[in-house]
Formats: sequence, structure tokens, C-alpha cells
Amino acid sequence: MNDKPIVRVHNLHKWFGLLHVLRGISLEVKPSEVVVIIGRSGSGKSTLLRCINLLEEPTSGHIEIDGIVVEAAEGTILPECRGRMRELRLKTGMVFQEFNLFPHMTVLENVIEAPVLVKGIPREQAIAKAEELLAKVGLLDKRDEHPIRLSGGQRQRVAIARALAMEPKVMLFDEPTSALDPELIGEVLAVMKELAQEGMTMIIVSHEMGFAHEVADRVIFMEGGVVVEEGPPDQIFTDPQDPRTRQFLRRIIESGRTI
Amino acid sequence: MVEEQETIQQSAPSPDPDLEVGLALVRRAKRQRLIETIKIGIVWVFLVALLTLGLLQLRFDPGYVFQHFGFVLEGVLTTIGVSLASIAIASVLALFGALGRLSRNPIAQGISGFYVSVIRGTPLLIQIYFIYLGLPQIGQQLIQMGHPKLGELFTLSEIQSGILALSLNYGAYMTEVFRAGLQSVGHGQREAAAALGMNRAQMLRRIILPQAIRVIIPAIGNQFIAMQKDSALVSVMGVWEITFRANRFARKDSKFIEMFLVAATLYWILTIISSWLQSRLERRMARAYER
Repeated sequence: MNDKPIVRVHNLHKWFGLLHVLRGISLEVKPSEVVVIIGRSGSGKSTLLRCINLLEEPTSGHIEIDGIVVEAAEGTILPECRGRMRELRLKTGMVFQEFNLFPHMTVLENVIEAPVLVKGIPREQAIAKAEELLAKVGLLDKRDEHPIRLSGGQRQRVAIARALAMEPKVMLFDEPTSALDPELIGEVLAVMKELAQEGMTMIIVSHEMGFAHEVADRVIFMEGGVVVEEGPPDQIFTDPQDPRTRQFLRRIIESGRTI
Repeated sequence: MVEEQETIQQSAPSPDPDLEVGLALVRRAKRQRLIETIKIGIVWVFLVALLTLGLLQLRFDPGYVFQHFGFVLEGVLTTIGVSLASIAIASVLALFGALGRLSRNPIAQGISGFYVSVIRGTPLLIQIYFIYLGLPQIGQQLIQMGHPKLGELFTLSEIQSGILALSLNYGAYMTEVFRAGLQSVGHGQREAAAALGMNRAQMLRRIILPQAIRVIIPAIGNQFIAMQKDSALVSVMGVWEITFRANRFARKDSKFIEMFLVAATLYWILTIISSWLQSRLERRMARAYER
């Protein structure tokens, strides 16, 4: 395995008005690594994810993905980096909590839209690839349905296929199962697990501790906009060093979730 | 109708007794709604009869109405034509107006904000006078200054002036409608499109507009219904639409009630038909994305 990091975040800050949401985050992710970020809501974990693909513009700091560097200082992206923002974004694929499928398009159209429109891939080629991806997430038979006819779990699997169709180097998952009914969570996690086994680099914000324990190479615990603790899942879940991590995990256990 | 349903029920008894109860409830609710509609209809008929009787008492001349009804009726096509042309042009103006208001470009924002503010801040009648009487004045001035081609551009026919005035006016009001339509598309859609690498133009064309149109089209229908009546104002320009035609005879023979009653009835019928088409359109739009 190549040990040079594919994602490098350095001293990242994000302010929302007077709120200092990210307070100097540094993070490196190696190719094929699966990183799960945990922490209570408001800890900045989703914001971190959204800054990595520049859906939120960082206030200051350095982001590098697969050799593309974007830097921000004093509230704006540096002018010389602006031209690279889309290039950097295309290195990432994002899966949202609320799926955000395009409701006016069929499943297949959802998956081929960006490859055809943004990358200029011929339609037939894009369709072939999309069918392959839909088969992979187990939804080839739904290719001509509109998203409204799908369950939450099915929608999220389409969203994963849609992101993969752009052939990203890194997949970002922002609480991908939080909007799902409990009985539908498993099917989405299964697809994610398969992706991880295939060697996809993944950064996942999740409350699914069992999944994190099983699939993550590294778990990061965030609180108050900083990384409090990180390490292999066995260590984080069984022997957390920081009292804040211990308290967070205890609350999770008390709420009835399994690790 | 009810009997028919009941015989069907008897010949094929439903296996689920709950379904029977549900069907009976639905039937009863339907019948009650129908009875209420009929009651309201009776009140309407009563009101129309009362008004007619009252007018007849006051030497209202129904013969005159029948004699000149056809002349006013011919104006219906002009009214519809002017309204259709104006709503089409207004929609284009409104789209650009809304895009301007939502854009980050200060020039686009400034132009569309200025346009909407000026039009919404002045009466339609004044706008009509400006276009009908003001523009030719500018045209004359330009011709005298030695620009005959340019001057002629400002000399419009009655119909052209009417369409221009209504388009400009409705374009400004509909800018807000279009803006609301574009903003009705959830933030998540923009984020998903951006995350897939789309730029703003691609996002607008492929993701935002196709969804916004489902909100905007029924709203255009509402504006069209309102415009049919506002188009009466272009009669002051001498456009031979419903109001202008009614006005001609009303003034000539002092038969105001007779002729304006004809005009009012025609507008009313137009509105009822348009509203019916509109509600069908709305229902179709509401069933979006189901396949």
C-alpha cells in the first residue's frame, strides 16, 4: 500500500459568523484508508467533511487531495487557488444524510447526469458504467423508477452509485444512515463495507459505532471543533485515553446502542 | 350512480368487511359535498335572478344587450390574444428578473431590482400612458433630431403598445413569483449538484429550473387569469378588446349598464374557464415524478 497520504488537511479553521466551528484541524488520510469521525452534534464533524470538498469555504487552512492544493486565509480561498476548487471537488464523492437525489430524474438519469454533463463522457458509456454501479448496489431493477418510489435505504444506495459514477479518489459520507428507519440502515452499511473492502478511501461521519468498530482503520473523536483523540477502533472503543471520549462513549452505550 | 355502485358491491362481496365500511364512509362524504355544492349553486342562481329583476325594474333594456352582444363578443379573441402574448413575454422578463435578483453580480442585481421597484411603485395606468403617449413623443423627437429609423422604433401600434405595457408590468410582479419558484428547490439539491462538480449554469439548467417549473407554471396560470381583467386597461389605447367595444356603444347610446354588463359577463366566463383549466394544471403538476 502506498503510504503517502491522499488527503491532507492542515490547520483548518471555520467560522460561522461569531461561531468558531473548526479550531485548527489537521488530518491525513492514506489511500484505501477508512476513517470514521465520531462526536456529538455540533462538534464540527460535518463541517469538516463539507470543508474538505469545499461545499463550505474554509476560513483558513490548507486542503490537499491527490496533489491538488487549495488554501484559504482570512476568510477567503486564496485567489490563485480558486481555479482549482472544482478540480479538487471532482476528486471527492459525497453522500448526504438526506440523499439529495434529483427527484425529476429516474435512478439511471441521476447516476449518468454528472458524468455526461460535467465530464463529457458519451451517454452510452455512462449508461454502461451506471448499470454496473446500480448492479453493485443491488438496484439495477430500479433503474427507470423515480426516487419518490424508492425506500430511504434504496435512495441512499442510488446516491452512493451516483457519487461513484464520477470516479472519485475519496468518498465522503455525511451521516449516511441518520435519516433512515432502523431496518434500512443495514443495507446501506453493507454497500459501504463492500466499498471499503475494495480499497476505496473513505471519510465517514457516523453514529454507527458498530460499523465504525468493524470497518474503520482509524476512528477520530471530535469535540468543540478540535480532534480530541484518534486511533484504531479497538483502542478508541475499548481503551479511550481522553475523559471526553470516555464520556461520549458512555452516553452512547447508555442510550442503548452497541459498539 | 349510487345504486349502480351498490349492485356491484352485492354481486362481488368484498372479503374484507372493513373495506365495506370505508367505502360507505367515502360515499357518504362525497354525497354530502355534492349536496353542499348544489345548495351554494342555488344561492348563486337566486342572486343572479334578483339582480336581473332589479335591473328590469329600472328600465334595463335586454333587447339592446342582445343587439350588440356579438360586437363585444368579437373582442374576446383580442383580449385573449393580448393576454397570451403579454404573459409569454412577461414570463421571459420574469425569468431574467429572477435570475438577476438571485445572481451575485451587482449589475444584474441592480438592473432587475430597479426594474421591479419602478414598475411595482407606479400605477399600471400611468405605465400605459407612458408607453402609448410618451413613446411616440420620444419617437417624434428622435425623428426631428435626424434619427428617422430610431424614431420609428418608438412608434408602436395600439396592440403593440398594449402588449408592451402589460408585459413590462406583469414581468415585474412575476419576477417575485419566479424567484420564489427558484428558491423553492431545496438547498440540498444545489449541494448535491455542486458536490458532483456542476457549475452554476449547469446546476440551474439541469437541476433547479426543471424542478422550479413545477411551482412556476401554476403560478403563471394565476397571473394569466388576473391579466385577462387588467387587459381592460389597454382599452384606453384604442385596442379593440372587450372593454373598448362595450364602451363605444355605452357612450354613444348612454346604455352603460347594458354594455358593461355584457363586458363583465364575458370576463367572468373567461375567468371561470381559465380557473378550471388552471386547477386541472395544478393537479397534474402536483402528481410530479410519479412513475
